[in-house]
Amino acid sequence: MQSTAQTCETVSDRLSGLVLKRPLGLAWVGGLAIAFTLLLLLNVAVGWLLMNGVGIWGINQPVAWGFAIVNFVWWIGIGHAGTFISAILLLLHQHWRTSINRFTEAMTLFAVACAGIFPLLHLGRPWVFYFLVPYPDTMRLWPQWRSPLVWDVFAVSTYFTVSLVYWYIGLVPDLATMRDRAKQRWIKIVYGIGALGWRGSAKHWARYEMAYLLLAGLATPLVLSVHSVVSFDFAVAVLPGWHSTIFPPYFVAGAIFSGFAMVLTLLIPVRAAYGLKDIITERHLDLAAKVMLATGLMVALGYASEHWMAWYSDESNEEFVALNRMFGPYWPVWWTTMTCNILIPQALWWRSVRINPVLLFCISILVNVGMWAERYMIVVVSLHRDFLPSSWGKFHGTIWDWSTFIGTIGLFFTLLFLFVRLLPMIPIAEMRKQTVEDEAK
Amino acid sequence: MNTPQPHTPAAVQPREEDEFAPGAAEWPEDFSRRRFLQIMAASLALAGGGACTRLPHGEILPYLRQPESLVPGKPLYFATSMNFGGTAQGLLVRSNEGRPTKIEGNPDHPGSLGRSSVHAQAELLSLYDPARSHTPMKLGHPETWEGWLGEALPRIAHWKEREGAGVRLLIQRIGSPTMRAQLAQFLAKYPKARLHFHDAAFPESPMPARVHHDRVQVVLSLDAELFGHGAAHLSAALAFAKSRLSEEQPGRLYAVECTPTLTGAMADHRRTLAPSALVKYAQALADAVAGRAQPSDEWSAALIRDLQKNPGRSVVVAGHFQPLSVHQAARALNEALGNIGKTIDYTPAAAAELAPATLGELVTAMNHGEVDSLLILGGNPVYDTPADLSFAAALAKIPFSAHHGVYENETAQLCRWHLPESHFLEAWSDAQTLDGAESIGQPLIDPLYPSRSAHELLAMLLEQVPTTGYEIIRAAWQKRHPADDFESFWRKTLHDGVAANAAPAVPAAARESSPNAETPALAGLELILRPDAHILDGRYAENAWLQELPKPFTQLTWENAALISPQTAKALRLEHGKLAELRYRGRTLRAPVWILPGQAENCVTIHLGYGRSRAGTVGTGLGSNAFALQTSDALWGGGGLEVHSLGERHTFATTQSQQYMEGRDPVRLVTPGKTSVATESESTPSLYPAWKYDGPAWGMVIDLSACIGCSACTIACQAENNIPVVGREQVLRRREMHWIRVDRYFDGDAAAPRFLHQPVPCMHCENAPCELVCPVGATVHDHEGLNVMVYNRCVGTRYCSNNCPYKVRRFNFLKYNDTDSPTLKLMRNPNVTVRMRGVMEKCTYCLQRISAARITAEKEQRPIRDGEVVPACAQACPADAIIFGDINDKASRVTALRKSPRHYSLLDDLNTRPRTTYLARLRNPNPEIG
Repeated sequence: MQSTAQTCETVSDRLSGLVLKRPLGLAWVGGLAIAFTLLLLLNVAVGWLLMNGVGIWGINQPVAWGFAIVNFVWWIGIGHAGTFISAILLLLHQHWRTSINRFTEAMTLFAVACAGIFPLLHLGRPWVFYFLVPYPDTMRLWPQWRSPLVWDVFAVSTYFTVSLVYWYIGLVPDLATMRDRAKQRWIKIVYGIGALGWRGSAKHWARYEMAYLLLAGLATPLVLSVHSVVSFDFAVAVLPGWHSTIFPPYFVAGAIFSGFAMVLTLLIPVRAAYGLKDIITERHLDLAAKVMLATGLMVALGYASEHWMAWYSDESNEEFVALNRMFGPYWPVWWTTMTCNILIPQALWWRSVRINPVLLFCISILVNVGMWAERYMIVVVSLHRDFLPSSWGKFHGTIWDWSTFIGTIGLFFTLLFLFVRLLPMIPIAEMRKQTVEDEAK
Repeated sequence: MNTPQPHTPAAVQPREEDEFAPGAAEWPEDFSRRRFLQIMAASLALAGGGACTRLPHGEILPYLRQPESLVPGKPLYFATSMNFGGTAQGLLVRSNEGRPTKIEGNPDHPGSLGRSSVHAQAELLSLYDPARSHTPMKLGHPETWEGWLGEALPRIAHWKEREGAGVRLLIQRIGSPTMRAQLAQFLAKYPKARLHFHDAAFPESPMPARVHHDRVQVVLSLDAELFGHGAAHLSAALAFAKSRLSEEQPGRLYAVECTPTLTGAMADHRRTLAPSALVKYAQALADAVAGRAQPSDEWSAALIRDLQKNPGRSVVVAGHFQPLSVHQAARALNEALGNIGKTIDYTPAAAAELAPATLGELVTAMNHGEVDSLLILGGNPVYDTPADLSFAAALAKIPFSAHHGVYENETAQLCRWHLPESHFLEAWSDAQTLDGAESIGQPLIDPLYPSRSAHELLAMLLEQVPTTGYEIIRAAWQKRHPADDFESFWRKTLHDGVAANAAPAVPAAARESSPNAETPALAGLELILRPDAHILDGRYAENAWLQELPKPFTQLTWENAALISPQTAKALRLEHGKLAELRYRGRTLRAPVWILPGQAENCVTIHLGYGRSRAGTVGTGLGSNAFALQTSDALWGGGGLEVHSLGERHTFATTQSQQYMEGRDPVRLVTPGKTSVATESESTPSLYPAWKYDGPAWGMVIDLSACIGCSACTIACQAENNIPVVGREQVLRRREMHWIRVDRYFDGDAAAPRFLHQPVPCMHCENAPCELVCPVGATVHDHEGLNVMVYNRCVGTRYCSNNCPYKVRRFNFLKYNDTDSPTLKLMRNPNVTVRMRGVMEKCTYCLQRISAARITAEKEQRPIRDGEVVPACAQACPADAIIFGDINDKASRVTALRKSPRHYSLLDDLNTRPRTTYLARLRNPNPEIG
């Protein structure tokens, strides 16, 4: 995978050096500054929200869910690639995952953190969010277990916890490497705390491998379950456009699709900026693009089956929803979704496109846009015209909707910038293992 | 890794650097342990003291003597009456611990029959409106009543010297016999004083008439507002609903009108004509019935045959805004059909004996300097008078002018004095219906501000003693109803709300005067001016409930629009929602265009009452002031209007964006021959056994045949359930809070559609989709089958609203309830939670009323009787279209109605099994014309 000149020593040196030796670059400081400014915007938006209530957003009577839920589903979807890469590909012995799994796991965590903000903020009374949690209450009140929102609480919090633990366990040997290679004492202490006393003994390694494998096994079903549960929020409802059994698989495929798009959006600039083209190679781009193409086709199948069922069921409400999406007042949303999610990814059939970082970057951005539009279509466009024509309405995001959304992008990138600066973004220990194995071959 | 260094013992370190020097642990001599504890105790006590909040001072005292029948927590009901456009609406007002909290119709009163109108309901908010006039004002500065008397008494002396020369009184429609008597006394005392009449919402009809709807089979309305605001719309609506639903011979209604009215919406056959054409059409009909001419078309021929088939059982009613000739034609038709004395009586105008002069004469006199003192009793002539009179300019010339009114409005601004008027719930008065039934208006609360009623003010001007409202009214009644035992008569009248010995009004010859000039056919469009359905001529502009109540045909709130038919708009290249300039007789007005199917061709209707410049915090600056186009020779519009598009876009605050039913038929229609509607089978298969309700299972049936679309239910619900208003900005975002809305659809031909109204409250589904998805169980089913909201459990996910197929749930997106204004606190129903920001709410079937009935029934150890629980909407409904009861009770009215062939549930294919169901709307078209 990497140039043959690499040894364990050079791998450790180079990868830990990204954090320990590399000087503060202007690009990094500038990037963090922009991201942090957007994070401050999020603070303002959230502060204003808590002062005034969700009425500052554009939500209204027919469309009671808007940006918050769109963004929630979008971020959660993005989170999926990390777990998919690190857990499922590990179990499938896809060794190429090694060089990108840390980064994508971090991406997962940060995306889930961004996603997790929205269900809290979208509550009319966020200060009583804990009503959704089964806690010992003197009134003996429990959540209402039939509601998919309760399932969401468990699905998302489990997913976040497992992702966090999995990511952290993977970090432990690398933190020890960082501790050992750091020059200043306080840095040693900080990494040393994180390394949990790792000494690299054979016993440590054996337990580490077992824990990592078990956690991979635990995380694997979560990849499928989280977005299935999120899709139940819609599928369980009676609303035409939501009430559909296709949703769980179609949402999971969409999540991995958007997750890989985000992975590429992030990795392509990072590998250029940090000179990691020999570690994150063309092959990685090629494979990630293939996953995107495959899941994109599954998503296309989902769209097709929705429209097919609308026609085949002969259910007038379903037919109406399909036509309303295409030709109703929100027609640009449907056409954007189809263009970005189905039409454009077809370019990935060509290898020359798949290994072209610039093209791939553009496609991945468009897929991110398309997936956001898809969630907008599902949430807003279904709600705005339901059964009784008298209650039909429209929805437009306000400045606060957009501020909150852009603010979470700020949060995501702030965390990401700090991550690449403070932690080894390429798993050192696993790369060393890879080097040894390659040499043995 | 470094090799660990051997540990260096601390003993080696120099003593100076040791912060724990020997003796450091000892207390210093001058700071004893005892002293320390003292200081700590003192600090603690002081710290505790600082944490104390000074509690607000207030005294809670028990009643020294318990007022009779007042039990804290139990409401009392008092009969009173409201003067509305010169007639009495008998009311029953609920009082909680001395605060009036809800207005209902008085079932014993012939003018209301227990029903109430939007305006009667909304008066509650007017009473507590923080923007009401708080104090007398002189030239814009606060004054006192004593100050007023100080200036008025020398004036009065002066008036007496000159026998009232130069004194003018401007009055509105007066329904109070005592008031009329007082005015007669005023004219007797100051013989040269003159009375002038002006009422922009309730003009004197050119030919006042009383229709006996209960005896009518076929009605022809010539632009009459039978069911809208007006003299007797409550009884008319009920009588019409009865006749329409009569088994053997359902009634039929024909409407010929210029602009959509509730009458036209209920009509079996509706025809739209421009005002000038309507005049000719009425004449042609009269000629045809008299045999002088042939009917102009098949429609009219069929109409005439139908009328002639029902002599003495038909009626032709001409509208208040129609010129004398239409009324004469209507009268000729009624004469020819033998209806007079049977279904219609022509009566004198209520204030005929006072013979008031017109507003035009007053303005002329003012401009000629003949007026020295002008007293404006109610009303707002600076705003609501025709533009050509320039009332404001004339008013500026009057040395002594005074305005008496509930609000400090435009007129109050320009008068020397403004005197606050007591709200009718604060003052003694009386009122009379068209039938002559008298009732007393008794106050429910002491005046909130230093205000006086018109009776008290007139008594002041008449230098009479007594001057309290009670004494004035009682003395007047004693004089009018001399009885041996006046005390018991008085008490009984007060209790019942209507006088036991009503003197019927005497039919008399018509008074032929015509404020409504015929509109000459001029080139261009015709302008139609009408009072707004809810805020009338602007007198309710400050009432936020009425402002936010969607208008019956446009569902527009908080503003008015220029209503134009689709064809005319196309011909003139006008677009819906674009500003246009209306040019009429040299005056212009900017108003947004609203394309309204069912509007007469080549006509533009614009409703009065908007564009107020000083209505208060709520009503100022909304919409366009149509009085700017009104002229005194033709008050209700005329020919020669031009409309030019300005191209500027305007966003309407409407609560319904879709006008047609999109093939989904939420409103179903049936005809007498074929009354059954196709419905899904009741028993959809289920794995679970149906839930059994041991006690009552509440249900509601809404009869769309009876519903006139007046929205009284919406306002009644708003008052009963402490529902906030959200304001224009929030309506633009579609966040109105009404728990029961009245949907309006157009049906059929786009040029001449049928108007359908459908009240939609919560359906209280047996299989409620909202309950399933709430993550915290904040919306649940109760033991009587109600779908209830637990406000303090609601976290506000709004999932329930998304999953509600009927979209009847309402969310507090922001803090909508005004919890700061002290008077509004008094208004609230103490039995209904005031909802906070971030919680969902919706119709509860007036759970508090069900609970009250249950408690009473349990105490009396009997089941709840049918009809004992009446939700606010059903109670207010003028047409008895909403019926509520126990569907488990085989004998209940609601059970019987659920067996009707017209019975259906909304969206029954979703298997939600609603408890609120509908009866299809029965149309009774003339078979000759379909």
